[in-house]
Amino acid sequence: MTFNLVVRRIHLYLALFLFPWFLMYGISSVPFSHAAYFDQRNRGMPMWHLRTERPYDLEIPENANLDEIGARIFKDSGLDGSFGTYRPNERQIDVYVYTFWKSSQAKYLIDQKRLVVEDRRFRWDHFLTGMHARGGYEHPAFLEYAWAGVVDLVCLGFIVWIATGIYMWWQLRRTRSWGFLALGSGVLLFLVFLLAL
Amino acid sequence: MYLALFLTPWVLMYALSTMAMNHRGFFKNLYGTGPAPYEVEKEQTCVRKFSSDATTAAIAKQLLKDLGLEGTYTVRGSIGGGRLTILRQDPVSPRRITYTAADGRLLVEKEVFRVPAFLERMHRRRGYQHKYLIEDAWASSVDAFIVAMIFWAGSGLWMWWELGETRRWGAISAACGVALFALFLLKL
Repeated sequence: MTFNLVVRRIHLYLALFLFPWFLMYGISSVPFSHAAYFDQRNRGMPMWHLRTERPYDLEIPENANLDEIGARIFKDSGLDGSFGTYRPNERQIDVYVYTFWKSSQAKYLIDQKRLVVEDRRFRWDHFLTGMHARGGYEHPAFLEYAWAGVVDLVCLGFIVWIATGIYMWWQLRRTRSWGFLALGSGVLLFLVFLLAL
Repeated sequence: MYLALFLTPWVLMYALSTMAMNHRGFFKNLYGTGPAPYEVEKEQTCVRKFSSDATTAAIAKQLLKDLGLEGTYTVRGSIGGGRLTILRQDPVSPRRITYTAADGRLLVEKEVFRVPAFLERMHRRRGYQHKYLIEDAWASSVDAFIVAMIFWAGSGLWMWWELGETRRWGAISAACGVALFALFLLKL
């Protein structure tokens, strides 16, 4: 097997393996780029549906660990999935639970001693943008790590496609001048954006 | 191929910026939490007087023009409140301009350059909501990149199918990818 063939096969098989991610990142970029259009389509519709609301009393110490408190609220709310804890102000702690298909939140209203659990209405644009934005190694669950690992692999895939793509282009002598023109004008335009934006 | 060569800088930027965002924890350890600090670039007095009915946006735009820093910005505060803070959203060197109405003092600060923050700013820049032509041009380039990605997905499948000897291993690669993606879809 020649080096040339190895390069071609890596380019091809890596692309085929990562095809679902490639397509997902492409399609899910549309609602990011045209967010105003999708928001307009859903204007007036409530984002959250109330699931439960009940009295709840959890003592919040002065130097409380937010993650530990979030874990307790998460457990008491009967939610399922990976979660993040946020404190938008001194009177409230939010636990946000996200899966690709469903998102929920538990809001602990500290001064009212109430726990409100809400489910987010499903929207295809949110489903896509949620998948697009998912990543990072902050969550300890194995599948979360695995997803983050694949996100890194996709990034490496992009870099490998650039390198192998340029190599394959260089092998096609008759395309070099037009290729230079395409590559050069792309780099130039990108530099213009960097300087002018 | 020519489309891919033209869009190479975008491909590289999106790949590197995604990697930077995927390893936010690492960069937090490296730089500490919170946004990058600002450092003073220059300090000057603005002799221009603004009429009492001038809007905050108009004042901010004029100040940026006077400083040679025209472009997309957000503004906080008001002349009535004594102070305006303008955040000029430059992708390479974001600036914070503070205008104090009482003495006409202008403080121009530049954000300390950090590669991950720069990449993330480029990654997140999109949409047609801004008033500047260059911003619309950038948004169009992002849209062109999206169309190209979907086109590459389709043309890539077609080119693979044309290479008869790669069909078997190609099908195995694609099936493994689809199966893994489906597993994530069901479990995450």
